[in-house]
Amino acid sequence: MKLSLKPQETFRDDYTFSNSDEAILRFPFPFPEDSYMYSVNMEPHVRGGASPVYNAMFDIDEHYVGDMADRAITLDQDPLRCQVLPHMETAEWDTLELLMENLANDYPEHFSLTKNDDEWHWINRPLDIDQKFTFGREETLPFGPFEYITRQVQGDFSLQDQRDNNLYMDGGMVTSQADWSLNFDVGMSFHEWHGPVPLAHESGVFDRALQYLLRMQCGKPVRRLNWTMTANPRLDTSPENYPLWGPEKAAITPENVGHRMCLRVELQTLYRLPRSNAILFSIRGYLIRLEELAKVKKWAVRMHRVIRDLHPRIAEYKGLPRYRQYVVDYFAPHDDGRVLNAGIGPEQDGI
Amino acid sequence: MSKNRPVYEPFALEPSGRAHLVVTSLDAPPEGIEDSFDNIEVWTVKHNGPGVPVLAAGGVRPFRSTTELLAQLGHRLGRETAGLRFYAIGSEAFIWDAYNIGIVAGLHPSEISLHRAGPLVRRVYCSHCRTMIEGVPVNIVSCPSCEAALFVRDHFSRRLAAFMGVKVDAEVPGEIPAAEVFTS
Amino acid sequence: MKLKIEAAGQLTSGIRKFTLAPVDGAVLPRAGAGSHVVLEIPGPNRVWKNAYSITSAADALAYEIMVRRVEKSRGGSAWLHEHAKVGDVLEVYPPQNLFAPQRKAKRHLLLSAGIGITPFLSYLKLPGLAYEMHHCCKPEDETAFRTLLPSGPEATLHTSRNTLNLEALLKRQKLDTHLSVCGPESFMDVVLATAAHVGWPAAKVHKESFGGATGGEPFVAHLKRSGVKVNVGREESLLDAMEAAGLTPPCLCRGGACGECKLTVLDGVPAHHDHYLSETERAANNAIMICVSRAKTPELVLDF
Repeated sequence: MKLSLKPQETFRDDYTFSNSDEAILRFPFPFPEDSYMYSVNMEPHVRGGASPVYNAMFDIDEHYVGDMADRAITLDQDPLRCQVLPHMETAEWDTLELLMENLANDYPEHFSLTKNDDEWHWINRPLDIDQKFTFGREETLPFGPFEYITRQVQGDFSLQDQRDNNLYMDGGMVTSQADWSLNFDVGMSFHEWHGPVPLAHESGVFDRALQYLLRMQCGKPVRRLNWTMTANPRLDTSPENYPLWGPEKAAITPENVGHRMCLRVELQTLYRLPRSNAILFSIRGYLIRLEELAKVKKWAVRMHRVIRDLHPRIAEYKGLPRYRQYVVDYFAPHDDGRVLNAGIGPEQDGI
Repeated sequence: MSKNRPVYEPFALEPSGRAHLVVTSLDAPPEGIEDSFDNIEVWTVKHNGPGVPVLAAGGVRPFRSTTELLAQLGHRLGRETAGLRFYAIGSEAFIWDAYNIGIVAGLHPSEISLHRAGPLVRRVYCSHCRTMIEGVPVNIVSCPSCEAALFVRDHFSRRLAAFMGVKVDAEVPGEIPAAEVFTS
Repeated sequence: MKLKIEAAGQLTSGIRKFTLAPVDGAVLPRAGAGSHVVLEIPGPNRVWKNAYSITSAADALAYEIMVRRVEKSRGGSAWLHEHAKVGDVLEVYPPQNLFAPQRKAKRHLLLSAGIGITPFLSYLKLPGLAYEMHHCCKPEDETAFRTLLPSGPEATLHTSRNTLNLEALLKRQKLDTHLSVCGPESFMDVVLATAAHVGWPAAKVHKESFGGATGGEPFVAHLKRSGVKVNVGREESLLDAMEAAGLTPPCLCRGGACGECKLTVLDGVPAHHDHYLSETERAANNAIMICVSRAKTPELVLDF
């Protein structure tokens, strides 16, 4: 897979992050229709499909280097953003194997993995890492196996143990979350960690999703898209650091909304892990400034309609009320009333 | 309505158990429970009670403080065998502290029952500085350590035995709504 | 995937062991402790699909299984005992795990009888597992089973019911112990009943049970608007059968959860296996999730 990586960008302070035209066109726009409501919108995660970000098992994009540098900063300030409970050790090694094998397979020019029984050799060229280690022996790596590999893969991760006909979030690497805390949620059951989400419990979405995930099989991962909005292209929108990013939300104005406000899309993928029978949950975030999104006509029109008609309780849960009207007003001039095709593709070849 | 706020059932002993251990932060257990089963032991807290918490007649053992009771609980559960039912009665913070000691000892949640007693107050975890704030009766509280005014989210962590507190005026400093008293 | 019988041998008079290796030297999918594989076994009139626990470790280069000859069977186990030979190639479905160890438990009490030993053989290969195991078998099989178990005090063989005092054993277990049981239904029933009697909660007890298959009795789906009748075979889902017939019904998760593939039932009675429809909707008998559900009547008429 051809992939060119940008030199380091920043996701805090001066926010040098931006999307190239190619990155805009491959953005996983989350709205296939003109309105939005929670649903069990899960489908098999097979390579290919409605968005180019589905082409690899774990998508690496042009922001990789800056993304990983930002994670390292966050972990340096708060090591508890990565926690794994002791009974998940086997799942840690499962994760390491799954990620290393797929990265080496999908991006051979950037990553390589050589195995000689338990003696493994991992090369990560973009981050200049060359590591020989013994699979199953934690002391041969500089971090625990889960932390070691998730410091090198974009997106947040959580590890779910399956027991009592339920899933428990018994580990994770969470540095780019939409206002939830791993340190607070670690150990919670499926319904507990989804507790704050409005409306979806009543309609049974979580009951059905849980039943589906409990039956998930090895080698048959699934995916869904989720979304929110973020003021500035900031990865660490954690409850812990809300005092840092809260004021940035309040600083959004009709004049700067197009440049500062970002649509934040999560490609969520889930994998049954073979040795541990645990489930790995990848929450791969994509950011796009509204002014970048507006370069795709179909998306600009649809954004206007979705945000304008969004259920107030969903808007509140996603933290939108303070600037929702600015976003609607920003996209309103793009909406000429045209009928849009269903689906998430940009339906244009260039910018 | 949050789906992870604990719901407490009225106290009742589980007939499926072979032995029963009841711990309470109150100075007396629910009336008459000592006589309800053969194999029952009750731990209470008597603040001005006798010096040493020995097991008295009727299977009641009074401790000097909840701290002392909880400190001995892990050791006690460590030598228990299958078939025990464990009960905690008291403030929400106390019963979940006891619950966590039970989980570490190997009890399954279905072997534990919790019963809240006393005033409707919550333990609140400050997301910003990790301080635990005890006995909070309203949904906005000032953190004694980092001084943030915290909104108490309807989100409960069994592991921390606490509700989540997040700065209420992070977006616009000083914009603090009126606090509401907890009614459940 | 195609796997070759690399080795075969008799464990006891009624149990045969097989080693299944990749045909082309490929790496097998990992099979965690408690996993099973489904083998396609050729019969004269039909193909049998039988599930067997994998007894080898997760990273082994080949799967090891054990097959008990089911009495009076003319099906899969009879073929594996009478006809299967080294070099035969079988279609094998990737391993699935419905009996994974409870990793949060600090100790494991493993109780098995007869062929029920098989899932625990993979448990015993987990590094550092703290366990106590008791296996019951017929006196004539004792020597054979002895070779499968470690020689230490943690595993005990019983050839008579009298030597296993179930109630005492279950009563003396520490709180942090999880009980797993595998064997004939009658054996598991006794263990489960005794455990409940001495106060074990259901959540700390697991028994091996195979399930979750999409198959069932064959039936005919009459798709009224399309004007097509589709035969749904024993081993395929209604959705698969419709797709094989060239139809493109809506679907997403293929696991009975998302609600996408719901079709209206015009006649016949569906057998619901999904997690989507409410009890009321199920009872109304007018909707079916075609990815997992089947029919109680020989024919279902659907609005498609």
